[in-house]
Amino acid sequence: METTIKSRAFEELAAAAEGIMNPAVQEWREGGGKVVGYFCSHVPTEVLMAAGILPFRMRGTGSTGTELSDAFFSSINCSFPRHTFNQALRGEYDFLDGLLCVSSCDHIRRVYDNWKQNLDTPFIKIMSLPKKVGDPQAEWYREEITLLKGELEKQFNLQISDDQLRDAIKLRNETRRLQRELYDLRKAQNPAITGAETLAVMVAGSAMPAERYNALLKTLLHDLNGVNGTRDFRARLMIVGSELDDPEYIEVIEEQGGLVVTDSICYGTRTMWVDVDEQAADPVEALARYYIQERPSCPRMNDDQPRRAQFLRDLIQEFQVDGVIGERMLFCDFWCAEHYMNKMDFKEAGVPFIQLDREYITSGKGQLRTRIQAFLETMGK
Amino acid sequence: MLVGGCDVGSTTGKAVILDGASIVSHFILPSTTNPEKTARLAMDEAVKMAGLGSLADLRYVVGTGYGRLKVPFANENVSEITCHARGAHWLNPAVRTVVDIGGQDCKVMSLDKNGKVLEFAMNDRCAAGTGRFFEAMARVLGCGLDGISSLENQGANPATITSQCSVFAESEVVTLINEGIDLPSIIAGINNAVANRINSMVRRIGLTKELALTGGCSKNEGLAQALEKKLGVTVTLLPQDPQIAGAVGAALIAGEKANHQ
Amino acid sequence: MDRREAKDRALARYRQERDWFAFLLEAAGMMNTPEGQLQVKLLNILLDSKQKVVECVENDKPFIAAYFCTAPELFTAMDLPWFMIMETPFLGATAPYIMEDLQGAEEMGLGTDLCTAIRLPIYYIESGQMPVPSAVIGLLSPCDGTTMLQQILRHNKAWHNVPLFCPDPPYTSDERAIKYFAKELRQMVKFIEQHTGRKLDIDRLREVCEESNRSYALWQEYNELRRAVPCPHGWEIGGAQAFAVSQCFRAGDPRCTDWFRQLLECGEAKVKAGRGANDYVPEKIRLLWFDIMPYGWIFEFMPWLEQEWGAILVMDMFSNFPYTLIDTSSEETMFHDLAKRNLMDVPMIRQARGTAENFSSDIVRIVKDYKIDAVIWPGHMGHKDGAATAGIMRETCRGIGVPFLHIGLDLFDKRYTSVDEVKDKVSQFFTGMGLG
Repeated sequence: METTIKSRAFEELAAAAEGIMNPAVQEWREGGGKVVGYFCSHVPTEVLMAAGILPFRMRGTGSTGTELSDAFFSSINCSFPRHTFNQALRGEYDFLDGLLCVSSCDHIRRVYDNWKQNLDTPFIKIMSLPKKVGDPQAEWYREEITLLKGELEKQFNLQISDDQLRDAIKLRNETRRLQRELYDLRKAQNPAITGAETLAVMVAGSAMPAERYNALLKTLLHDLNGVNGTRDFRARLMIVGSELDDPEYIEVIEEQGGLVVTDSICYGTRTMWVDVDEQAADPVEALARYYIQERPSCPRMNDDQPRRAQFLRDLIQEFQVDGVIGERMLFCDFWCAEHYMNKMDFKEAGVPFIQLDREYITSGKGQLRTRIQAFLETMGK
Repeated sequence: MLVGGCDVGSTTGKAVILDGASIVSHFILPSTTNPEKTARLAMDEAVKMAGLGSLADLRYVVGTGYGRLKVPFANENVSEITCHARGAHWLNPAVRTVVDIGGQDCKVMSLDKNGKVLEFAMNDRCAAGTGRFFEAMARVLGCGLDGISSLENQGANPATITSQCSVFAESEVVTLINEGIDLPSIIAGINNAVANRINSMVRRIGLTKELALTGGCSKNEGLAQALEKKLGVTVTLLPQDPQIAGAVGAALIAGEKANHQ
Repeated sequence: MDRREAKDRALARYRQERDWFAFLLEAAGMMNTPEGQLQVKLLNILLDSKQKVVECVENDKPFIAAYFCTAPELFTAMDLPWFMIMETPFLGATAPYIMEDLQGAEEMGLGTDLCTAIRLPIYYIESGQMPVPSAVIGLLSPCDGTTMLQQILRHNKAWHNVPLFCPDPPYTSDERAIKYFAKELRQMVKFIEQHTGRKLDIDRLREVCEESNRSYALWQEYNELRRAVPCPHGWEIGGAQAFAVSQCFRAGDPRCTDWFRQLLECGEAKVKAGRGANDYVPEKIRLLWFDIMPYGWIFEFMPWLEQEWGAILVMDMFSNFPYTLIDTSSEETMFHDLAKRNLMDVPMIRQARGTAENFSSDIVRIVKDYKIDAVIWPGHMGHKDGAATAGIMRETCRGIGVPFLHIGLDLFDKRYTSVDEVKDKVSQFFTGMGLG
């Protein structure tokens, strides 16, 4: 990607977001390390880390078609699982020692069924993710995590102690803290890092060992310290939506002069705004509470829209946002309805808002440019 | 002070030259495959018609439309959404809703009393409800675009065409022809189908009077009639060729920018 | 708009629907066949429960919105009138005002790729045309769309303060999942008691569950009859109605059991006489229609299937169930079995809630038991998970040597895929597979 950032650390991070495999994962595997792929930010990756397994978030990056996955998915399915599964069928994910899903949405949950049927990955599991954020649901997820722990121990012939879990939580929290520091830079009047660059860094965080990532991120923060942004931009935007892992999409937006300064997306604030409770006596319980109740929720959580709306309002204030872009992939029911509600809320609050439908693989850039340009013009920017 | 607006669309290129509050000249031509060429041809002709020596006589030029990034002589480019809205509003200040039906997209804009866009909706992913759709239908019916447009050809009982997709709608029309349904009913049915689609878009944005049509397809009287029925309002006419609304808007913005300089 | 006007507006469509069914009742009443009589009985039960809801609204009496998969036996036991917020697309999709409402739903600005059966109720809610109950039991199963319906309901200013409880459906189907869901149902009962003033009496629940068991036992017997060749009933009578009677209006009611008894008699009489579903057309193709009926255009399509192809709808998703009977020995066993039934047995929830096993295992079992000649997955635009299971279903059918067709349509809106297109696809399929 095009960037003005002068940082070797950034180069490595951005490169990790450009494809599926990267040198850090290669090195890990060569050292005998196991890798388990996962879908959805609700997967308790801390458990995998505690087991000494590298969690690798699934993407369909680089996919040029869905000819193979079309035998299993239909034209009314989300393009994200279609492309990702297609990459898997092409062999791009042969390096996985396991696949961990949660019942996040109607499209992704069927990756589990289709994957089980068609690919040889040794360990394939789907966890039952609740649809509410109450105490009984946190308790249910605590049980699910306990079951996961047991199955991992059996499959990979190891033990996961509470202490190992606590260490993993600390390590993961460190990533979160560093990522929040990165976002802090974007509160500035002329941020040192663009939205596209930030997304690349966030995606990289799901694609390499945490120790390495944290070290790179620390270096990047050092490299960006005191740097003023060079961009000429017209407005500060927030992007709200789901599984957006392609920095190019944000590049197109930013080319029009709308700098993306914050977000609520699956690779953004929702994964790191809050830490897992390190003081809790029971780390499994702490994880359950975090994933179900404490982290900013996503639309699949039924009784939480007011809190999500408040979260967006807080971000708008904190980052001095001028306008909001709500993106969703076609056929996503969750975000279709969530943006329907967002639109009403933002209209009432007088916050400029535009909803964009997209496909997983960035296309139709001309149309995207026109809409963003028109949006900025309507904002009077 | 002379300024220019150039709207490079997929089907036609439009150029307008303004002098203060009057349109000095305007020109429309079918687009070539090269947007830059289209822009130059349109502008050069408008310049000639205005009795000017060259493009350099224009203080400021704004490009818009699908090919706006390829207008080399433009000082800047502005989205066609903003330009169509401004243009339509300037031509008739009572306008608050603009429906632009172009060659390969259609859009709806709602404006405030100053012609500023409040909200917009676009359909630029499929042919249904655009000039392409009418072209395809004109081919199937063998009657030409005029045949579909003229009021006297609109049957009183429009045939029902249910397909949302223009490709399937075409086969539906073929079926209707084979079933012996009369041409006026089919023509009215086609305009009705497009009116339906536009109606949905307008309702999503909200309909505020007055409503104006811009873009090439706005000259389709049959469509205007069907729209009026669906929306329950009279389509307000613009004093100039509605197809140039985008270029007018671009020229107006050019004038503002020139004044600021 | 004052309160009286708001109430009237909220009831307008509901009353219209009730009247539409009254009209259907009259039409059914004119049919002198035993099946016609069954329709009359069904419609009477339906109308009675709808009328009760109307009366509750008019007289400010407690009533709730709930679903067929939220243990309706509990509502009967608490003598609480209830209605399904998603009733209209399922029942009233042939009503004359539906096109207008579908148009209204589009104009709301919700993406048209969201299931029509979800968008329609949202439209009614957002436009004030849905009766506002004392409390809402929301559905979070089987699909993403239902989850969003509850959230939009909550977000709506007029419904914001209506108490809402949604039982959380786990993704697994084991004992642990049942126990969890049973706890959710208990929470639901507490919630209803709190907001309607009604109390659940366990003995009354036992009565209701026993009655429900009687209905289901009869239903199971009736389904055995449909294994006969020729099948005694087609699309017109059978599963869809049975499901409506047993789960949708009044579960565990003696009138339901009576209806099933009559259904069984009807079926037995026909099987004894060797009569097929359609007296004028011999049975040539035994179909499994693996979804609910295409309510938006059922009358334009189903009769054609029979007449044109001799294709009899022997089984569909809603006629198929493994309803194990509820053990009424104790409060605990009743809640346990109600949880099991509503989490794992009720149609559509059964197939779509969890992993894909139930899609394939149900197909295999039904094809074998009912001697199915062809399986059709209608491919409704709202079934995103089902769409992603098409490959698995196709392979399952190939494995058991039965032809499989995936159409791609909207069960409620015929503008999505026209009836003619569907007929074309089905005809090509039958011809291609050498059927009929």
